[in-house]
Amino acid sequence: MKLDVPIPPGAEERAHEVAMAAFASHRPAPRKRTYWRPVLVVAVVAAAAGILASPPGRSVIQSIREAVGVKNAQREPFSLPAPGRLLVNSARGAWVVEQNGSKRLLGPYREASWSPFGRFVVARRGNTLVTMEPNGNVHWTLAHPGLQLPSWGGKHEDTRIAYLAQRNLHVVAGDGTGDRMRCADSLAPVAPVWQPLSLSVLAFAAENGQVDVYDVTTCRLIMRTKVGPAPSKLQWSSDGKLLLALSPFSLRVYDLHGRAVAQDDPSDGTYDSDASFLPGTHEVAVIRLHGAQADVYVLGVGPARSIFHVVGGLRQVVPSPDGRWVLLTSPVANQWIFVRLGGAHAIRAFSGIAGQFGGGTFPAVSGWIGK
Amino acid sequence: MAGPKGDERAWVRGAQAGNASDFEALFRAHWAQAYRAAYLVVHDSAAAEDIAQEAFLAAVRNLDRFDRRRPFGPWLHRIVVNRAIDWSRRRALRGEVELHDAPVDEPGADMASETVAAMRRLSPEHRAVIVLRHLLGYTPGQIARLLELPRGTVNSRLRRGLDELKEHL
Repeated sequence: MKLDVPIPPGAEERAHEVAMAAFASHRPAPRKRTYWRPVLVVAVVAAAAGILASPPGRSVIQSIREAVGVKNAQREPFSLPAPGRLLVNSARGAWVVEQNGSKRLLGPYREASWSPFGRFVVARRGNTLVTMEPNGNVHWTLAHPGLQLPSWGGKHEDTRIAYLAQRNLHVVAGDGTGDRMRCADSLAPVAPVWQPLSLSVLAFAAENGQVDVYDVTTCRLIMRTKVGPAPSKLQWSSDGKLLLALSPFSLRVYDLHGRAVAQDDPSDGTYDSDASFLPGTHEVAVIRLHGAQADVYVLGVGPARSIFHVVGGLRQVVPSPDGRWVLLTSPVANQWIFVRLGGAHAIRAFSGIAGQFGGGTFPAVSGWIGK
Repeated sequence: MAGPKGDERAWVRGAQAGNASDFEALFRAHWAQAYRAAYLVVHDSAAAEDIAQEAFLAAVRNLDRFDRRRPFGPWLHRIVVNRAIDWSRRRALRGEVELHDAPVDEPGADMASETVAAMRRLSPEHRAVIVLRHLLGYTPGQIARLLELPRGTVNSRLRRGLDELKEHL
């Protein structure tokens, strides 16, 4: 009898993150370790003690979650500390979150992302691409075998949507017309990204790890990087001059000539779980994981500057549209942590996030966009 | 599945000594099967993720007390399957309808074989013994020890479960 069950994308890594953090919190403190600050050592020892003292029947996960992340995080529903709204992908589907924290479930969609100015959302439902307004009203749909990872780009007056179909690149106009396979096949399963305000310049990753930038109207190759580790994320700077390619053990920022103008190569058991351009700048906020600890720093001109440190893994860094805050997500602590970059340092942390999005696996933030 | 038993024992020893890479090796060797086993009992991918994850967290908590002469896999699988049965029973008590509970477009729903789909119709207890026998490869005697059931009960659940499956295929 054959019992084959596919593993959902990312599931093993989510579990790995939690399990390794739990292991790091539970095991005896290494004798010669000097990396952790004293307060964190106290926190980890307290965490281990807390786990051992848990009453029978109490969830082990809960014990771990209480031991990591930001202490005294608020348990009530959150609000956003900066203008704009979030698009969130959870096990139940896609959600729009307003600044006051009110949430709307758009439906059982996957891979939802914003249109360039936040007026629409594109998402996938099975093999169908769905475009809709942020209130959930569907505009048009498009079915294609193996359809995945839609990405919307363009200008105010005209837009394009790129998507992958069985590893081939497709482009369709923002009104759903003119769907065509374009320029490339054998793509890696990474969302392609449109250069800001462009109807034709698109970056995507090939299966061999190369990152290509094409004019997809003419199929002219603009830039190609060397073969390397396949990126897990691509992102343009807001002025479209730089391209970020992130893989766990290699972060590169390329100019339009394919030159790496900034890079980060984690080693010694560390890796970068996420990175994102800060809006209006060429600076990149990076999450660096080391065992059960996470550091967030900003990479740009001059030495990298550290902005946050926490016990427990962080998965995503999402800047606010005004660039004054970053949202850090912590599946281990089941928290969202907002850290202010501009002005006085401030932190706002909210716990119980998974439950606020229907429970199940920890939700992923697709984007924080201005209204 | 896990590598050679010698490797696994070494990983358990290393993990007990605080070696993260050995614990990671155990995780990598067993997580996928733990997830599949949980999924086949609960038929809900989010719940299966939680159950597999909780099993590993239980492993962390009990690592110091684990008898390293015993194989790690059966111990983990027992946790997974028992928790999955509990979860399914709780859902049944809440009156939730299984076929409508899984989010649309879950990979398990998209790609599951007919057999996997047909297993939804069985009781959690029948699913559990079929998963242990046909996914994880345990003998009826081993299943009886894992689930602390009489061997005859295991055999009858296997027989009835498979008969019922045939009716639905």
